Amino acid sequence: MVKKDVEKLLKKVQKPARYTGGELNSVVKDKNNVKLRYAFCFPDNYEIGMSHLGMKILYSLVNAREDAWCERVFAPWEDMEALMRENDVKLYALESGDALSEFDLVGFTLQYELSYTNVLNMLDLSGIPVLKKDRTNLAPIVIAGGPCVCNPEPMVDFIDIFLPGEGEDVTNELIDLLIEHKEKGSTRLEFLREAAKIEGVYVPEFYNVYYNEDGTIKSVENIETAPQRVKKRIVSDLDKAHYPKDFVVPLIDVVQDRTVGEVFRGCIRGCRFCQAGFIYRPIREKSPETINEQCRSISDATGYDEISLCSLSTSDYTNIEKLIPMLFDWALKENINVSLPSLRVDNFSDELMEELKKVRRSGLTFAPEAGTQRLRDAINKNVTEEEVLRTALKAFDGGWTSVKLYFMMGLPTETLDDIKGICDLAQKVVDTFYRNPNKPKGKGVQVSVSCASFVPKPFTPFQWEPQDTADMLIEKQKVLLSSTTSKKIVISYHQSDTSVLEGVLARGDRRLGEVIYKAWQKGCKFDSWDEFFDFSKWTEAFNECNLTTEFYANRRREYDEILPWDIMDYGIRKEFLVDENKKAHESVTTPHCRIKCSACGANKLNGGKCDARN
Amino acid sequence: MPEIKKWAMEVRMSFEKTGMAKFISHLDTVRCITRAMKRANVPVWFTEGFNPHAFLTFAMPLSLGFESLCETVDFRLLEEVDLNELAERLDKALPVDITVKEIYVYETLPNDIRWAEYKIVFNNPDELLLERANSVLSSDEIIVLKKSKKGRNKVEKEVNIKEHIKSFELTEDNGKLVLNTVLSSGPSININPMLLIGALVKDTETDEQDVDIIKVQSFTENMEIFK
Ligand code: SF4
Repeated sequence: MVKKDVEKLLKKVQKPARYTGGELNSVVKDKNNVKLRYAFCFPDNYEIGMSHLGMKILYSLVNAREDAWCERVFAPWEDMEALMRENDVKLYALESGDALSEFDLVGFTLQYELSYTNVLNMLDLSGIPVLKKDRTNLAPIVIAGGPCVCNPEPMVDFIDIFLPGEGEDVTNELIDLLIEHKEKGSTRLEFLREAAKIEGVYVPEFYNVYYNEDGTIKSVENIETAPQRVKKRIVSDLDKAHYPKDFVVPLIDVVQDRTVGEVFRGCIRGCRFCQAGFIYRPIREKSPETINEQCRSISDATGYDEISLCSLSTSDYTNIEKLIPMLFDWALKENINVSLPSLRVDNFSDELMEELKKVRRSGLTFAPEAGTQRLRDAINKNVTEEEVLRTALKAFDGGWTSVKLYFMMGLPTETLDDIKGICDLAQKVVDTFYRNPNKPKGKGVQVSVSCASFVPKPFTPFQWEPQDTADMLIEKQKVLLSSTTSKKIVISYHQSDTSVLEGVLARGDRRLGEVIYKAWQKGCKFDSWDEFFDFSKWTEAFNECNLTTEFYANRRREYDEILPWDIMDYGIRKEFLVDENKKAHESVTTPHCRIKCSACGANKLNGGKCDARN
Repeated sequence: MPEIKKWAMEVRMSFEKTGMAKFISHLDTVRCITRAMKRANVPVWFTEGFNPHAFLTFAMPLSLGFESLCETVDFRLLEEVDLNELAERLDKALPVDITVKEIYVYETLPNDIRWAEYKIVFNNPDELLLERANSVLSSDEIIVLKKSKKGRNKVEKEVNIKEHIKSFELTEDNGKLVLNTVLSSGPSININPMLLIGALVKDTETDEQDVDIIKVQSFTENMEIFK
C-alpha cells in the first residue's frame, strides 16, 4: 500500500513497480491485529532481493504466525533515494507503506560484504539512528542474519543482534521474546540480556575486544549474559522445516523469477576456497517426495514456467536420479521447464544427460576453478582434466556448442604456470570439440573462460592466507590474456578493487565499523555495482581511521592468532581447518564426505548426524 | 514436447488496469497475465515450436503510468468452457489492481481501433492552465515535437496534432483541472496524450508529471465502442 506522497514520486522514477508492493501472494495483515511487526530488509535493489530464497522462507515463516506480520524492504535505487530525501519520504515496507521506524524488528540479510554500506543507508533513509549506540528504545531492534554473519565484527556498530546459522527456529524464539518484553514494557538492555541467553543469538555489545600493539586481537571478554562463543543454529530435519507454499510473484523482471526447490543444505565436497562449503555443514537432505511436493505447490500458486533446484552442488544429491523424473512427470505436461544449475563435471551420468536433453538447452558450465592439477589438488577441487574433457565430449555429443569454464585467480600457492594452465585447459576443450566426429554440423565452438579473484574467507582452510594484492592480480591477468590467441576462447575477469574491499570486510574486526561509517558518509553505497563502486572514497576512509587494507587482506595470519570470528562457533573444528591448510600447501587432497568423513566437527550441531554418511 | 493441439475457442478478455497497476509496464503485464492463466488453470493454447508460450494478443500496449478501463487481450482456448466462470477464476489469479471485466467471443479486431478517449486530471494546475488549455485546444494548429526513429537515429519532428483530436472538454473539479478528450489511437496512428499534455502545460508552472491519465474507452472509425 503506497501512500499518496510516494505515488507522486513513482511517476518520476525508473521501474516504479519496484516500490509499489501489491504483488501476487504478498501478505497484507491488519496491523492492529498483530503483536509484532517485522521488516525484512534486503540491502540491495528489488530485482536482486526478490530473487533470494532465504528471504522467501523467512517471510513465509513469520507470516504463518497469527501474531506477527513480516513485510519486505529493499534498497531504493539512486533516483528514488534522491526523490525520497528531497521530499522527506521515509523508507517504507512494501506491504503496508509504513516507515521502518514503526516496526519492532528490522532484520537485514547479509549475503555479501559489499552490501554493508546499503544497510547503513537504509537505516538512515528510515529515520532509524544508524549507530546502535544512538538507539535507546526497545523497538526497533535491528538484527542481521545470512552467511556474512559468520564474521559480523565489522558491522557490530550498526546491528543489535546477529543470528548466525539458519534463521528458522531462532527467529520464532526471538519474536516470542520480544513480544513478551514489549508487553512487560522492558528496556532495550533488559531485552538484550534475555536475548543473549538464546542459543544462536549474538549480542555484540556484550563483548569487549582488546588489541595488541600490532593491531591483532589480544583477548575477547564476554560480559552480562553472553556466552563465550555463540553457536550457530541449524534446522535438524529439512522435511519438517518450514518451506513456503507460494512465492511473492514480482511484477517486474527480477534476477531469479521461478520456482525454487531447495534440495539439501551443506556440501560434501570440501573445496578449500569455498566458504559456503563449510559454513552450511553438516549435510542435511530433503526427501525427493518433499521437494517434488514443494515445487508443485509453488508452481501452482505462482504460475511460474520454470523450476530450478537450489543447493550448493545439486547433482550430489543422493536421490537426484529419482527426483528429476518425478518433477518431469508433471512439469513437462504443463510446459514447465526444469533447470539444474551448478552441475558438477564428475557425476554427470548418461541417464541424467538424457533427461536434460528433454528440456531447453541452456549453456553448459563447468567450474574447474584452477588451471593445473597441482593447484586443483591444493584447493581440493577434485576434478581431473580427463573428467572435464570427457564430460565436454559428452556434452558436444548431446548438441551443446558453447561451454563456460569458471576459474579463480589469486589462489594460495598459485604460480604463473597455473595461470597459463587455464588457457591450456580451455584449448583442450576446443580441441575436443573439433576431434569429435559427432559434432553438430556447420557449427563452431565457443569456450568462455570466466575468472574471478579469490578472496580468503573465514571458516575455510584459507582463512589465514594472504590475499593477492591488486597489482599481483593485474600481472596475472596480463599473463592470462597473453596465453591464448584462439578466437574460440573468450576470456573475462572480475575487477580487482572490489575483491580487495570484499576481502578486508570478510576478515575484518570491529575497528572497521568506523571505516564503513565514514565510507557511507562519503557517499559509498551499492558497492557491488560497478557504476557505484568508488574505491578512492574507501581509501580515504581507511586513511582517516589510520587503518590499512593490507593489514586485513594481504597479511599471513599465524594459526594461533585470535581471529575476529573466533567468537562464532560454526561447528567446524579449528584443528580440522589447520590440517586442511597444511594439506593445501602440500597439494594433498581430502576425499569428499561421502567417501570418508574427515571429522570436521559439524555433525555435533545435529546430534552427531550428517547426511553425507548414511 | 507436448503434443500440438488445435484450439476450440477464440476469446477476448476485457480488463481494467488501475491504481498501482499503472506502474506495471506492458511487457510485465503480458507476463503477469500469462502467469495468472497458469495459476487459474486456463486451458490456453500455446504456440508451437522450440519455446512454446501462451499466445496472447493485446489490442494496444498501454504506456507506463497510465490507468485504463478498457484493456483487452485475445487468446485461444483448447476446450469449450464457461466464460463467466473463467473470468471469475482469472480475476482471482491477478493482482488486485488488474480487474477482469468480461471474457467473450469477439467480432472486432484490434486493427479496427481508431480513437481512444482519455480522462486527464491535472492534480495541481497552475492558475493559467485552464485559459491556456482552452486557447491551445481551440486553435487551428497544435504543434508538438514527436520523437521517432529514423533508422538508427532518434529524430524529433514537429507535427500538427489538431486533426487527431476528435473532441475535448475541460472542467474544473475541486482545484483540479480535468480534460476529457478523444485522440487518434490504433495501429496506424497513435497520439500519446503526453504529447498533448506537454503542449498544454508549456509556458505554465504546471508539473506535467503530476497528472493522472486514464484511458476510458476505445472506438472504431465510426465511433462505435470497440469491444
Ligand atoms: S561431519 Fe564428516 S561427513 Fe559431515 S560434513 Fe563434516 S567431514 Fe563431512
